[in-house]
Amino acid sequence: MRIEDVVCPFCGCLCDDLVVSVEGTKVLSVENGCTLATEKFTGDHRLAHPIRRTGGSWEKTTYDVAIRETAEILLDAERPLLYGWSGTFVEAQTIGVHLAELLGAVIDNTSTVCHGPSIMAIQEVGHPGCTLGQVKNRADVIVYWGANPIEAHPRHMSRYTTFADGFFVKSAFRDRKVIVVDIRETDSSEIADEFVKVTPGGDYAVLSALRMIVRGKGELVPEKVSGVTREQLFRVANICLSARFGAIFFGLGLTMSRGKYKNIRNAIELTEELNRHTKFTISPMRGHWNVYGSNEVFTWITGYPYAVDFSRGIAFYNPGETTSVDILRRKECDACLVVASDPGAHFPRACAGHLASIPTVQIDPHVNATTHLSRIQIPVAVTGIDAEGTAYRMDGVPIRTRQLFSTDYPDDVAVLGRIYSLVKEAKG
Amino acid sequence: MRVILKTRPRKKPHVPIEAEGIIPQNFLRKNDLSVYEGNRERHLEDLFFVTVEGPAVSPDQVEVILTGDTGRIKRVGEYMNAGRIIIEGDIGMHCGNFMSAGEIIVRGNADAWLGREMRGGRILCEGNAGDYCGAGYRGEKRGMRGGTVEVMGNAGDFVAEYLSGGEVIVHGDCGDLPGVEMRGGTLVIGGNCSRPCGNMTGGTCMVLGDPGELLPSFRRNGSTEAEFGGKKFRMAVFRGDVANRGKGTLLVREDLKSSRP
Repeated sequence: MRIEDVVCPFCGCLCDDLVVSVEGTKVLSVENGCTLATEKFTGDHRLAHPIRRTGGSWEKTTYDVAIRETAEILLDAERPLLYGWSGTFVEAQTIGVHLAELLGAVIDNTSTVCHGPSIMAIQEVGHPGCTLGQVKNRADVIVYWGANPIEAHPRHMSRYTTFADGFFVKSAFRDRKVIVVDIRETDSSEIADEFVKVTPGGDYAVLSALRMIVRGKGELVPEKVSGVTREQLFRVANICLSARFGAIFFGLGLTMSRGKYKNIRNAIELTEELNRHTKFTISPMRGHWNVYGSNEVFTWITGYPYAVDFSRGIAFYNPGETTSVDILRRKECDACLVVASDPGAHFPRACAGHLASIPTVQIDPHVNATTHLSRIQIPVAVTGIDAEGTAYRMDGVPIRTRQLFSTDYPDDVAVLGRIYSLVKEAKG
Repeated sequence: MRVILKTRPRKKPHVPIEAEGIIPQNFLRKNDLSVYEGNRERHLEDLFFVTVEGPAVSPDQVEVILTGDTGRIKRVGEYMNAGRIIIEGDIGMHCGNFMSAGEIIVRGNADAWLGREMRGGRILCEGNAGDYCGAGYRGEKRGMRGGTVEVMGNAGDFVAEYLSGGEVIVHGDCGDLPGVEMRGGTLVIGGNCSRPCGNMTGGTCMVLGDPGELLPSFRRNGSTEAEFGGKKFRMAVFRGDVANRGKGTLLVREDLKSSRP
């Protein structure tokens, strides 16, 4: 069977033009998708049934037992941590937040290791952003700062920027100027009109220098700023100032390097400064396909986008204190529920070590690095393949993912809903 | 009155305790104080051996002494407005949040957000302080507004972020971006740091050690003489942050202002 307009549940682009051929419960081929999408749809590392660790080995168990034991572990904990959420749909995320409130837990999503600093900067100075459709149809200057879309978001350039013709940009490849700022040459920098090579950790100073030039204080800029010559800084500033519509996209090279959220704040303030002269926007290159959704859900229920601590019964938020990496590094939490994420692969070693030392339960379709740190794993349906649900694209546009076929796996809502019911019953 | 709080052994010693109730004025009347251990509400006596010596008729006469494993206790001294707290060892995050008067002495190290949004009084940390010493809460446009925080050791990143008043003195080194977004008050760094005062709009920051790389957005504005620790130094004066139309003052030692980027 050939299914059209399939939404890809891999990265924040949420490409919605895939054509997928399926036979029964097997994906045969993927058209229009990038290699990441193809691997996501055709990969086969699914866990067949719930497992629990007994002694040094795994044993097969039932959903009933796994769910009941998970509820007991969470109820017994004094500082449970519910982490992940970015690889599932918003309906499941909603149950997660309510579960955290009921338990007095800390709930955090993968923003904590990606664009959390972007959100902190936005909370300080706002967000002059726009949708990807606006960029596609209007932008004649694109800046990728600390991002390598060709490898991390392979269709971003072909759908929205460099290679995508738009309503007001008839010949994108000729009419759009692309600037790439990074600490090293990448596949993306090779096709840029201007590549700005910054010394590692020097982004803040370069952004400050650009702000000064745009503000008319360029005479103070020294000969070189963090490896970038004065001439190039003026050239970049002039390209931006001569744009009819400019769009800055930034990645983890900016959010997770020295200065963190202050880098993003500086970039937003540069954008605001450019808006005194022309139209400019700035947007994060979100990684997980529904990490933006988790920020939305957390915010609309608790007021905070990630790292929400319910231990006092009300929501408290303080990145650096209530973020998962910090909680795990300080060995604060005494139980952890990981949903639709893989901290075992992404977190520092000390954090993974603490996950292995406490009762950790993972709800995830696949065997991954976190499996080896867990006591229980409950497999579920993959959203966008054998489950459907709502996700948010990197520009905040909600998109409904499709179910391509049915399997016997329950989805995240079913499993989390049962855990919530058991906890609710115990709490009275 | 002297109140001695000695921590009891805990089954899960890494679970943080939130104890904003530990302020001198709360011990004047024999209130039943509660604290939180993770998501569990506890009586003060469940987590501390409490000893009270002598009388007091006002909070000024109350001295609270914390001993034992105190490094995970958060929010001690929050909204404190009189008296004294002495912490014999380390202290957890947010010590002295919003305090307006009185004194806190930390004999060991203090975790992050020491003196957060402090209005008055004095905090002395004899060891090291963590990140955001004398800063504000997330999204808050004003950090510390009055009083003095003195750290005898080193401090972490983002020290005195959004500093709006009062004085932060760090005798040792600071991490990255001390005085970032500061708009008033005084920050003195006795040791080294990197990228001081990004985006500052007001206030004065003095760096007696190596400031590392200075941001390009500061304009040289002559030189002056300054005194710290009984010594006199020739200081280069910078004004900025120009990128932010700032009118703050950054003083760095004339002989150490090594590296403009």
